[in-house]
Amino acid sequence: MDETNTDVIQGTLDMLILKTLSLEPMHGFGVTRRIEQISRGVFKVNPGSLLTAFQRLERAGWLDSEWRQTDNSRRAKYYSLTRAGRKQLELETADWNRRASAVARLLKVEG
Amino acid sequence: MSFWRQLIRGIRVLGNRRTADQEIADEVSHYMEESESALIAEGLSPEEARRAARLELGSATAIREQVRGYGWENTMGGILADLKFAFRTLRRSPLFTLIAVLSLALGIGANTAIFSLTDQLLLRLLPVKDPDSLVMLSQRGSNMGGSDGERANSYPLYQDYQRRAEPFAEVFCQKVSEGVALTLDGQTELVTAEMVSGNYFSALGVKPALGRVFNSREDDQLYKGHPVVALSYDYWITRFAGDRNVVGKKVLVNSYPMTIVGVSAPGFSGVDPARSPKIRVPIQMLPIVNPGWEPTISFRRLRWLRVFARLKPGYTVESAQASLQVLFTQIRQYEATLPEAKGWPARERERFLKATVVVEKAATGYSQLRNSFSTALIVLMCMVGVVLLIACANVASLLIARAVARQREIAVRLSVGASQSQLIRQLLVESLVLAMAGGLLGILLAVWITKGLLSLLPTGNAVLMLSAAPNGRILLFNIALSLLTGLIFGIAPAFRSTRLDLWGTLKDAAGSVAGTSGAVRFRKVLVTAQVALSFLLLFGAGLFVKSLQNLRDTDSGFTNIEHLVSFRVDPRLNGYNLQRVKRFHQELLENISLLPGVQSAGYARAAVLTGGAWGDGMLVEGHVAKEGENTDAMINFVSPGYFRTMGVPLLEGRDFDERDSRGTKPVCIVNRTFAEHYFPGRRAIGWHVGSEILRGGKIDMEIVGVAQNALYNGPREGSRRQVFFAEPQEGYLSGQTFYVRTNLDTNQMFGAIRQAVKKLDPQVAASEVRTLDSQLDQRLLTERLIAMMSAGFGALATLLASIGLYGVMAFVVVRRTKEIGVRLALGALRGSVVWLVMKEVLLLLAFGLAVGIPAALALGRYISAQLYGVQENDPWVAGIAVILLSLIAAMAGLVPARRASRIDPLHALRYE
Repeated sequence: MDETNTDVIQGTLDMLILKTLSLEPMHGFGVTRRIEQISRGVFKVNPGSLLTAFQRLERAGWLDSEWRQTDNSRRAKYYSLTRAGRKQLELETADWNRRASAVARLLKVEG
Repeated sequence: MSFWRQLIRGIRVLGNRRTADQEIADEVSHYMEESESALIAEGLSPEEARRAARLELGSATAIREQVRGYGWENTMGGILADLKFAFRTLRRSPLFTLIAVLSLALGIGANTAIFSLTDQLLLRLLPVKDPDSLVMLSQRGSNMGGSDGERANSYPLYQDYQRRAEPFAEVFCQKVSEGVALTLDGQTELVTAEMVSGNYFSALGVKPALGRVFNSREDDQLYKGHPVVALSYDYWITRFAGDRNVVGKKVLVNSYPMTIVGVSAPGFSGVDPARSPKIRVPIQMLPIVNPGWEPTISFRRLRWLRVFARLKPGYTVESAQASLQVLFTQIRQYEATLPEAKGWPARERERFLKATVVVEKAATGYSQLRNSFSTALIVLMCMVGVVLLIACANVASLLIARAVARQREIAVRLSVGASQSQLIRQLLVESLVLAMAGGLLGILLAVWITKGLLSLLPTGNAVLMLSAAPNGRILLFNIALSLLTGLIFGIAPAFRSTRLDLWGTLKDAAGSVAGTSGAVRFRKVLVTAQVALSFLLLFGAGLFVKSLQNLRDTDSGFTNIEHLVSFRVDPRLNGYNLQRVKRFHQELLENISLLPGVQSAGYARAAVLTGGAWGDGMLVEGHVAKEGENTDAMINFVSPGYFRTMGVPLLEGRDFDERDSRGTKPVCIVNRTFAEHYFPGRRAIGWHVGSEILRGGKIDMEIVGVAQNALYNGPREGSRRQVFFAEPQEGYLSGQTFYVRTNLDTNQMFGAIRQAVKKLDPQVAASEVRTLDSQLDQRLLTERLIAMMSAGFGALATLLASIGLYGVMAFVVVRRTKEIGVRLALGALRGSVVWLVMKEVLLLLAFGLAVGIPAALALGRYISAQLYGVQENDPWVAGIAVILLSLIAAMAGLVPARRASRIDPLHALRYE
């Protein structure tokens, strides 16, 4: 019930989902494919984690969902970013950049 | 994360689990299909694509479960399932459930009942503004005068405090008067009135519900000058049906015309949480409310007021006391220069100046009832706590026995993948269900017990503010106690029974070998504890019962008190003046003496065996008081015929008679203790005595008689030095308590007495009509309450413990059936088999007593103050408790022992 985004993988997953959905509303597999494409296969998305993440983000009020017809006329649950979700994405992106650059600096010092 | 969104979504899912599950399933299968078609697009055949997707993603079911498991409602859902399961299993074993729930209900119910009284009397804060800054002021040490009640102060002292006490924002005072005649539209009733200072309401922050309440400017200026009445809210509702026109209505208070000015706020009952006055009048009306108290308001040596104050911010009770002590000592120094202090011996003067002031917290108000019952309640609270512990031990023991029987079920569930924590949760839920059921039943029991207890309390004329109805606090206490109980008895069995040797349990066909010896040992420990606790309660109960018996059997000095009827009349309340009051008492005495069945009658100003008593320092002709000698004697004012009526023989001299009337030479009768103290080996008759306050230090009363010793306030106080004044000689306006000795049925006498009083004046009522015997019971109420309740709880505890003992022994016998069968087959005698089992019973008993007896001796000193005529380590009482407990334990053990001896060896060996 109280998932805080301390876990790097999970934190990253939430952020990646938000980022992906910020472009357009998508269904679950669409998000997976987009993440895999953009990351050039570096990230593999576990469907269980992804769908659970949707539940979590939706309850946090960052996502909306609705059932819609897909292009090949099947029913699918489409997720879209809410205004709170957009704000959260900005926060997480800023936070991520801060951490990433800190890690990068550390690595530079070590090397 | 938004709490509300979580909550609402969770509830929606819970309410419509199927739809929610279907949505998840749809989403997962859509995901799988999409991923397959993506693979097909990459060139795989549909078959291969499906397999590859499965390989890569895992089974759809697993994903569904993972997604489904998210959210708080799923943990809840688990508990709901546990609850359902618990109800089902409990229903399957109704006997176990019944015994467990009943024991818990008894334990929890008794606790709730005693707590509800404790809460109302001891814990609840007054419903006034900022109760925490309220304090009560009183004094400790010599006063050189009289006191009416505990923690009392004189009115001039109150005024000094009000003017000069630095630590207080407000100082206010009150005095409750039990019987005031209130006449309304020609009808008179006795009500309880509270006299209050003008700032009483404003200091407490109590507003009027209607009209106005008193204030210092309008209602506290002129002695006898404020004939106004404020009604309490409850009285307004019950007597006036909430009539808003009541303001301005004229009433008579003790035949004095007054005006109702308003009604105080609802919920406010005064500073005594146990009793509530019906009307309030300004304290300046003292001589109207208490006729005959004319000089007391300005008299510094009579203490009769309760004084409260509100601390200024920044003061604590301690700093306020320190600051007030300086002022108090100054006041005492001033008082020592007044005329009434002239005759004081130097030593007394010194003690007088050394007296200290006491400041106490008064956030819960002040209640005489509370003072006399708080120890009783605390003792009872401890006792019911012990009873509950014993009940818990019983249920825990039963649960362990059940867990042993359910071992295989538990082992199977563990081996198919249930986690230990899931099983523990499930078992705990079962315990909590039992506890809550017990608690629920306990509330009903509690209401019933509380009602019973309250019906024992004397109510007088005041509205008793204690109620048996459970309120929010009591329910909360009950629920918390039930949960705690469930955890206490549930945790150990839950942990024990889920720690199993799976292999052993599942392999064993009988399913009752592995782990059971540990379970039996644990249950035996529980039984030992139960025996020890029961002994504590039985021993305590024995001590209290013995004390009560001693108090009841104390020689009161009065003879045949079952046939002595007493009642009180107070014609002052009907506006009688001194002369008419005296004539009324005289005529009533004559009329009653002439009633058929009346052997003799007399009256006294102070009723005996009520706890109240007059006292004064005595001065005796020819006696020079030594340094620090206690010269106090108990005083009463009695009519001719009083001693004959009470059955108290006169050892020397004569009774009062018609010679001793108003204006004649003052005479008195002393008791034997007094005569022996002042006139050892001499006749006391003819000597003169005087008293410091009542006779103003003059030694002018002649002793005309010496009476045998008899009790005054009560058996615990004993009969000390007593001096009896002749009431007909006194010029003091007062009510009287009449005593009537009869050979008729006393109930018949009650009616005849009421009739006789009515005949003399229909407006005057006879109150407190009862036999002296029941007055003694009334006086010993606290003791009786403790004795009765503790005996009841002791019996309950013993019953519960013997059920526990029986349960364990029955279990042991079943377990050893095969062994006993073998013994019998090999020629063991039936008697030796009985002994085999009884040996274990006695061993348990011995262990229990070995713990219980030292514990009882160690705890005894906490109740020694409650005891009378019996030591807290009385060997006889302890012996009786041991015998009683042993007998009952032996009986509980004998049943399974005899069953063991009747085992058929053939059958037993085929068993399994």
